[in-house]
Amino acid sequence: MMWRSLRWSWLMAASLTGIFAWHALAARHQSPPASRAGLMQVPGQQADIHLVSPVPNGNWTLPNGDFATTRYSPLDQINSTNVKNLKVVTTFSDGIPHGHEGGPLVVNNTLYMVTPFPNDLIALDLTKPGFPMKWKFDPHPNPIAQGEACCDTVNRGASYSQGKVVYATLDDHVVAVDAQTGNAVWDTKVGNVHAGETITMAPLIVHGVVIAGDSGGEIGVRGRVTGLDLNNGKILWRAFSTGSDQDVRLGSGFHPYYAKDRGKNLGIASWPAGAWKHGGGTVWGWISYDPETNLIFYGSGNPGPWNEDQRPGSNHWTCTIWARDPQSGYAKWAYQIDPHDAWDYDAVMENIALDMNWQGHMRRLLIHPGRNGFVMVLDRNTGQLLSAKKYLPDVNWARGYNLITGLPEVNPAAIAHTAAYAMHICPSSTGAKDFTPSSFSPQTGLLYIPAHNTCMDRKESQANYIEGTPYLGSSNNMYPGPGGYQGELIAWNLQQGKKVWGIKDAVLPVYCGVLSTGGGLVFYGTMEGWFRAVDARTGKVLWQFHTGSGIIGDPMTFLGPHGKQYVAIYSGIGGWMGAFAQPSMSLDDPYAGLGAAGAMKSIKKYSAPGDTLYIFSL
Amino acid sequence: MEKQSAAYRAASPRHTAGRRWCGWALAGLALLAIGCHYRRHESAPLDSPPDVRIPVGPIPGPKTQIRLPMNPYQNNKEALMEGRQMFVEFNCAGCHGGHGGGGMGPSLRDRKWLYGSSDAHIFSSIAEGRGKGMPAWGTRLSADQIWKIVAYIKSLRTPEEPDPPLVPPHPIVPKKAP
Repeated sequence: MMWRSLRWSWLMAASLTGIFAWHALAARHQSPPASRAGLMQVPGQQADIHLVSPVPNGNWTLPNGDFATTRYSPLDQINSTNVKNLKVVTTFSDGIPHGHEGGPLVVNNTLYMVTPFPNDLIALDLTKPGFPMKWKFDPHPNPIAQGEACCDTVNRGASYSQGKVVYATLDDHVVAVDAQTGNAVWDTKVGNVHAGETITMAPLIVHGVVIAGDSGGEIGVRGRVTGLDLNNGKILWRAFSTGSDQDVRLGSGFHPYYAKDRGKNLGIASWPAGAWKHGGGTVWGWISYDPETNLIFYGSGNPGPWNEDQRPGSNHWTCTIWARDPQSGYAKWAYQIDPHDAWDYDAVMENIALDMNWQGHMRRLLIHPGRNGFVMVLDRNTGQLLSAKKYLPDVNWARGYNLITGLPEVNPAAIAHTAAYAMHICPSSTGAKDFTPSSFSPQTGLLYIPAHNTCMDRKESQANYIEGTPYLGSSNNMYPGPGGYQGELIAWNLQQGKKVWGIKDAVLPVYCGVLSTGGGLVFYGTMEGWFRAVDARTGKVLWQFHTGSGIIGDPMTFLGPHGKQYVAIYSGIGGWMGAFAQPSMSLDDPYAGLGAAGAMKSIKKYSAPGDTLYIFSL
Repeated sequence: MEKQSAAYRAASPRHTAGRRWCGWALAGLALLAIGCHYRRHESAPLDSPPDVRIPVGPIPGPKTQIRLPMNPYQNNKEALMEGRQMFVEFNCAGCHGGHGGGGMGPSLRDRKWLYGSSDAHIFSSIAEGRGKGMPAWGTRLSADQIWKIVAYIKSLRTPEEPDPPLVPPHPIVPKKAP
């Protein structure tokens, strides 16, 4: 134990030194020189990989652990040798049988979990046996939010900073709660639930600014990101995904890499008159932050309505990856990855910031494993696309990406219109992966992607905008793709742009987040309820445990009292693809649940709704 | 908003007056009784018992007969088709599933009814809305339109269901990108 804590002290010191040295260097160099190798090393890390903000110690204070969203924890007490002895320490049921997305936080021996609607914040005391409840905070959200949320009444978690736990409620409030007492510090309304605006994403806190997005891309809302003062909840800035350059917060420092993303007021000009007002581009995924460049990164969602014939144009700035200044909200660059999206390929998936040897040079990269089926590698200084490779073999909406223009080479047969169904579009609207975040391990240099092999037929129809109701105009029928499987955990080599290994799920998509650790392990779960530890190098399943419900949450790890490592996961099926396990859904209508029912016909056999946090240790 | 459908325009007050009148006439005595009820309620003294027309909960005390209004469009094929069309155009399908199987709102194809299974109960759920986010469509649609949607909903899973949820035929293996 002594040795372990000493080693951790050393690691912390090394990390902090690394951060300061890195900052100093980052200030002087625009592109990182190779000589900086070794600065931000964690044990066993490859020499040509640098993590920009490793998980600092045994805590887990951010939705994905680290600002860069690698979801890599250097903790190694639980490792490939001893993981076979992993056992349940405790379970906690919150009594809300809806989709449990995201994961808990752990700060100073207290675990914080946000429940699905009604979005209670529950604190568990890790210093006592059984981890009993310390307190529960109930924000009393408006019940009508349940009928405005597109894809189950989910919540993806909270962020911790300066003694406050901050999260968003389904009815568009951002709340800050005192981490000690469980009392509200502030509560700010940031949207109008009557117009279909909801929030499911986990806000990120950067330098005292809380950054929150929104949901409702299926209800014709206008996507936005809001920056709030951590101290008092005051709105500091707001950046929309459609509208004028002023509304989108594009100033003199905005330099998009590609010509197609340059032009005045593209957020208005690339739409039919007025359509941008209900054009979507919601920000319901993850926000990451890079201390080196002092930029936040996030993606905007699909354009509305789904029927693309009603919105000729590129529909800026939907389906766009953004780099913004966290303090001012002004954009540095933006890259619209799916212009005029016709498939609901939101660009809200995680953006992982890491420095890596890229074709012989160390580069500041941003990795975006897209819902569109491509692993997109960008230069995060500029937004230049360096590589886009399909991570599932049957992706057919586009042949590839033109790295000179930044445009996808779209397959016209995959664009649906009103006359007839466009058949066999892969991936389906639910994506080759969804919101569930990947993990990158600096030990193996591999990216671990939770993927779905799902395809669809699609036909468009006239969408009518009626405030607070779905704005779609599209009929979708989804089904498992070819190959006899529907889910796969994929270990991906970024430099080579190819799969190293995969674990296929015959029946269901892999619809959960991934965690990689210094113990050489990858943790993930299945919609059937299996929680697994896998050898990060070989993909061999070393341990698994069958939880009570399907897993769609994100695993996390932390050190509890006496420096002991734990791993935690939610078990509670739901979300868009998992909601079909709910008794309120019928599977004899393949077009139910925005067309995903057809792909989930057997779900009720494999999982019933659940509401449980599982905590494991050796 | 520029491209509103015919059904959508029909729902705006300017366009619905005629249709609404026609609907009431067709609906017959039961509906007229409701209409009278409304007027009587408006002029009732404050201490009279509240007016319960379509009870959702059980009725306390000795058995009381409440005559629920009947759907004038039961088994009317044309009305079922119109109901289906409105189910799509007024975005019911976006919430309750393309053919009523559920989604943001609960399934209408199963046999579970949270607020009563009679045509009148379903009418009331649509017209008045429900607390978890079901909009009060009585503010936008005529009684006639709502009865047609009710008729369509009641036809789900029956041989009379118009436009049932069929899957377009296609070979199993998807095409690759060209």
